[in-house]
Amino acid sequence: MFYNILFQERIGSIEEFNNQYVRTMGEDNQNRSITVRDYRDRLRTTMSGHNSPKMVGSLPDTAADSPLVPVALTWLVWSMFAASIAVLAVRVRTGFAWEIPGVVAIDGLTVLMWVVVTFFSGIVHSYSRRYLAGSRLKTPFFATVFGFTVVVMGLVAADHLALFGTLWLAMGLLMAKLIGIVSGWDQAQAAATVARKYFIASSGLLAVALTALWWVTGATSVSGITAAADSFGGPAWLVAAGALVLAAMIQSALIPFQGWLLSSMTAPTPASALMHAGFVNAGGILLTRFAPVITVDPALMLAIVGVGGASAIGGKLLKSVQTDIKGKLGCSTIGQMGFMIMQAGLGFFGAAITHLILHGFYKAYQFLSAGGQVEHASPSEGTPHTIGTTASIAGIVVTLLTGIAGGAVFALLTGKGMKFDSGLLLTFFVVFTTLHAARNAVQQTTLPRVARYGAVPVVFFPAIVVYAAVYTSVSGLMPVSPATTELTLLHGIIAAVFVGIYTAIETGIHERSQRLYVVLLNAGQPAADTVLTTTEDYNEY
Amino acid sequence: MSTESTIHDSIDTAATTVGSLWPIHSFVTANPLAGFEDQEFSEAVAQAADLLGGRGYPSAETFRAALQRGQIDLEILDAELSEAGYENDPETLLDRMAEVTDATDSDPDTSTDRVDQVLTKWLSAFLDEGSAHWSMPNRKAGFYTAFRGVAEHDSEVPSEGIITDLPETPTETIETVLASYSESQWVPIFEQQLAALPGWTGLIKQRADDDGAWQSAYPISLEGYLAARLALLDAVGADIDPSNDSIDPDPAAELAGAFLRAWEETYRGDLVEAVATESQSLNDGDSLGRPDAQLVFCIDTRSEVIRRHIEAAGDYETHGYAGFFGVPMEYQGYDTDVSVAACPPILDPQHHVTDVPTDDETQESHDRLTGIRETADEIIETLEANAATAYGFVETAGSGYGLALAARTLVPGRVHDLFDAAENSVPDDHEFCDPLVHHQHTYTGDLPVGLTTEEKVEYAATAFDLMGWEAFSRLVVFTGHASETANNPYDSSLDCGACAGNPGGPNARVLAAICNDDEVRAALREQGFAIPEDTVFLAGEHNTTTAEVELYDSDVPESHAADLEQLRADLATARENAAAECAESMGADASSGVSETERRAADWAETRPEWGLAGNAGFVIGPRELTSDVDLDGRAFLHSYDWSTDPDGEALEAILTGPMVVTQWINTQYYFSTVDNAVYGSGSKVTHNPVGNIGVYQGNGGDLMTGLPLQSLMAADDDSYHQPLRLSTVIHAPVDRVTDVLADHAELADLLDNNWLSLTVVDPRQDHSAFEYERDLEWSPVFELADAELAESTAPAAADD
Repeated sequence: MFYNILFQERIGSIEEFNNQYVRTMGEDNQNRSITVRDYRDRLRTTMSGHNSPKMVGSLPDTAADSPLVPVALTWLVWSMFAASIAVLAVRVRTGFAWEIPGVVAIDGLTVLMWVVVTFFSGIVHSYSRRYLAGSRLKTPFFATVFGFTVVVMGLVAADHLALFGTLWLAMGLLMAKLIGIVSGWDQAQAAATVARKYFIASSGLLAVALTALWWVTGATSVSGITAAADSFGGPAWLVAAGALVLAAMIQSALIPFQGWLLSSMTAPTPASALMHAGFVNAGGILLTRFAPVITVDPALMLAIVGVGGASAIGGKLLKSVQTDIKGKLGCSTIGQMGFMIMQAGLGFFGAAITHLILHGFYKAYQFLSAGGQVEHASPSEGTPHTIGTTASIAGIVVTLLTGIAGGAVFALLTGKGMKFDSGLLLTFFVVFTTLHAARNAVQQTTLPRVARYGAVPVVFFPAIVVYAAVYTSVSGLMPVSPATTELTLLHGIIAAVFVGIYTAIETGIHERSQRLYVVLLNAGQPAADTVLTTTEDYNEY
Repeated sequence: MSTESTIHDSIDTAATTVGSLWPIHSFVTANPLAGFEDQEFSEAVAQAADLLGGRGYPSAETFRAALQRGQIDLEILDAELSEAGYENDPETLLDRMAEVTDATDSDPDTSTDRVDQVLTKWLSAFLDEGSAHWSMPNRKAGFYTAFRGVAEHDSEVPSEGIITDLPETPTETIETVLASYSESQWVPIFEQQLAALPGWTGLIKQRADDDGAWQSAYPISLEGYLAARLALLDAVGADIDPSNDSIDPDPAAELAGAFLRAWEETYRGDLVEAVATESQSLNDGDSLGRPDAQLVFCIDTRSEVIRRHIEAAGDYETHGYAGFFGVPMEYQGYDTDVSVAACPPILDPQHHVTDVPTDDETQESHDRLTGIRETADEIIETLEANAATAYGFVETAGSGYGLALAARTLVPGRVHDLFDAAENSVPDDHEFCDPLVHHQHTYTGDLPVGLTTEEKVEYAATAFDLMGWEAFSRLVVFTGHASETANNPYDSSLDCGACAGNPGGPNARVLAAICNDDEVRAALREQGFAIPEDTVFLAGEHNTTTAEVELYDSDVPESHAADLEQLRADLATARENAAAECAESMGADASSGVSETERRAADWAETRPEWGLAGNAGFVIGPRELTSDVDLDGRAFLHSYDWSTDPDGEALEAILTGPMVVTQWINTQYYFSTVDNAVYGSGSKVTHNPVGNIGVYQGNGGDLMTGLPLQSLMAADDDSYHQPLRLSTVIHAPVDRVTDVLADHAELADLLDNNWLSLTVVDPRQDHSAFEYERDLEWSPVFELADAELAESTAPAAADD
């Protein structure tokens, strides 16, 4: 009897087991078996691995597959970089130039820009292979960046006016595409539209300029136009030169055309790096390519110095009130491009090209590391206003000597500022920078005396030498030689304004104006419809 | 009641719906729906969806992927579906779910959009923590007054309505704008307005509650913000009538709930079965001799991985304890200006602990080297900031940036070595500093500096009590944890959650110093903790990105040198294996685990340096033996606990009210960030834009993003790595003791009753059978195939209906 009960209980449980088994098998027939079998297989394989403990609730394998296009394009762009280096070497050695007359002309500037563009593009490609891992944007992003690279390479080689204008437009449209590459995100689309409008306007201005130049000279190529420099003058030339400068200003996001750049942060970070290290430089390239058109008239050159200088100062002021990292970088670019255009206006096209390359390194680095710039600060740490802090006589002497020595090294090595012309203004900036750095170092009373007095000469002078070396090499490749202008009152005013700004920033005197603050903050705002006020709208994922 | 206090109270009431947002440099994981926790989960997500627009459940695609990968048991799913009244097969139901979710969309309101733009501009200017060189004028007077000052100059502010002549106090403004509304409408109006920019309002709320240094310097209140907002809304003539239309229920919610429960039950079933099985074979006799060392880790899910590998590497015992090691302190590192609250956000710091130098020579060399670096940084900053020098700087330094650009992009692994070398040349703080643990009879702010002997004894005793500790090895290591990532605004989200998003090493050092204190040891012995003379406590830090465990061994006596050497060698072995596991989970080659994880730690292009707590789904409270033979794949929080050493349930109470709540916060943050990455998470890192040292924008600006970025949760845009499951807690203890704790803590019972997490108890006194918490302190037995009969015969009284 007793056994019987036990047995029945046993049976009961076996029956239960069978029922469950049958149920499971039944599901097999309902076409849902794959999942169950998969699951069991997984369990079995994990169990059978020797010594490994039993898995409980293990996560699925989610290895993201990496598409082939990015790999291939990265490989390709670095090969293009290597090839550009080779061409550059040949160019430096033999001074070769190659052209399809009237269509394509490859000169020193072309080859130099090929090296620069493929380098930045290569960095962006390699970076994005990891940065965009798992993103469904990856392949379209790479295709667009690569296309952009090819277009820019074509642009710097283009000689025919139509080709030049078309590539200019294509370059802008591709950049707008990168700003709006996140297709489901309304604000990104709005930002792309803003940028596209600017770029189409700049292309339109360029078209006007090229048409007018063709009208004046009858030439259909860039080289043809620049060769006919003697015939410039008159209203058609003025229209052409004015349109050229405006096109360059839009492209380089100079004030008041900064709107598109400050609304472009919907672009993936590496695309921003490419934009700020490459795309905006095209303004400087344009002025350099058409240098003979603008150097004809000193008044125009002065105007370029004026608009460049205004952006150089304005960009820094805009930056001072920005709180977001990419916005700050954007304002910084406005200032840097202003300075670069100002260098062109002073006639130092080689210096402008050098600046845009070196700034490209700097700005690309800043963008690609934008995520690491969050600090935990305390309220007391505000920006120190340094003027007024006392320094010893020895400190002042050392500071002055260092600054002057820096300027002397710079002038000797680059030849800028050796004569009484616009180059003096550039030397002035170097003296200023060195002075400022030296003054800061000297004030670090916690450091040993040797370090305080020695640091800036030890670090800065070699850096100036490196700069001079880069500048000399770039100048050697330039199709145009420096077209320095005589020093005028405006140069003096610009220098004075910079000294004033320097003092203001160091003392914080301008910070007394609430009105100025509001104006700057508003001028630095992105376009209204490109701002994500409802995060629900960010729904592309 | 005066109008003023009515306004105050209405704002307070309305503000409960806003989830707090901590500054990004100290990321705190919190439930974004914390204000809704007093409601049933499904009800709460529906309300939050109405107010904030976020999804409450995983999408049909997520369920489909889980189903295809066998993560949802079909039997359980069938049961759940039929219980909820669905008869179709899961695939059809998922198709239906996908259809209904696609249809919704919100309509834009341009007038409030304009207000939002003006407000985000001024909020970012006011709340900035040291990012802008020229900060908003008159910030010291508080947000409302400062806003009042700049509004008249702002051309974007329309000059109409009250904004043209703002009253002096925010209350007056609010009163004026709301004059035409009855007081009963105020709370809904405030709720709606606070929900308009949930990121910024969450930050204001947190900042006002926390009352830290920035808040005291530049005060802001929700009231001041609402006054500015209402005035702007008045100016643009926007309609602020609270939408009275009832919440349109998400038609798919019920169905999604059934799928979610089935998914959770599948995971829980495995976990509970494993624990129950181990419970049966638990060795309740004496342990097998004295282990070579004991290591205490944070309850963090990542500790599970390294603990498993350390145990496999030698005769080691590991424990799980909250990563702040029970010391609620505010910590200030050597030579830093800011102190951080190194304890969970549910606690307030009680002590101020500073790192003080003890070795002059090393300190000097440290100061010299960091001094040079700081000076260089400072000079660069001033050069960059000034219009007259920035251009010269870029030209002179440009070539250097070019080299760095190439190196960091092309050889990121080498960069890690370089960073390491640079760091090694400068002595670490812990090499020449000790935390100032002794009571100093002074105060920093409101907090006493250091700890009294009684407090020290209490913290040490609590630690050993909660973990159910009995025997001590020659070496006992308290191991905090920290992450190591580059170019990552969310780095603090990977640090220790129990230390409020800070590294856990300092807390570990404090507890080790406490336990090495002779006075404390004597007192502990009196309380019955038999600490042998030869036991040495030391601290360490587990680098969760590279799986390396660094030991802070400067105070270990010569007598223990051999033990230390052995431990260090075994930790290296464990690290290799753990790194291989990490690398594999990120789809990389396991054979190069160490170099792969190091590359990820230093690579500026890496958006997934480590998985953090992604995958978290379970919390096991009980002895390590319950889980030591299973591989939980880094998905479970583990807190050591021994019911037999806790007769009055005090330790259990402490664990349930502390760590369990924190783990539930972490779990819900991961859950909601995954189910709606735009509203509750922060979207893709690819377009992130950090702002003001406090938060992150997507793109050009707007509202602050909250929660975790996409790359912390997803293996690819359409492939979730994190499994959005609510936390399954498993406790190894008698059921009635757990019931007692819940009975004493209504907030815990409410959380469980409202289904924000689940609780299962494996009762060692009832033949190790498992009971699942139902509601109202009732339990139901869990039937396992293995011990179904046993459970049936011994179901406790509490489960009888």
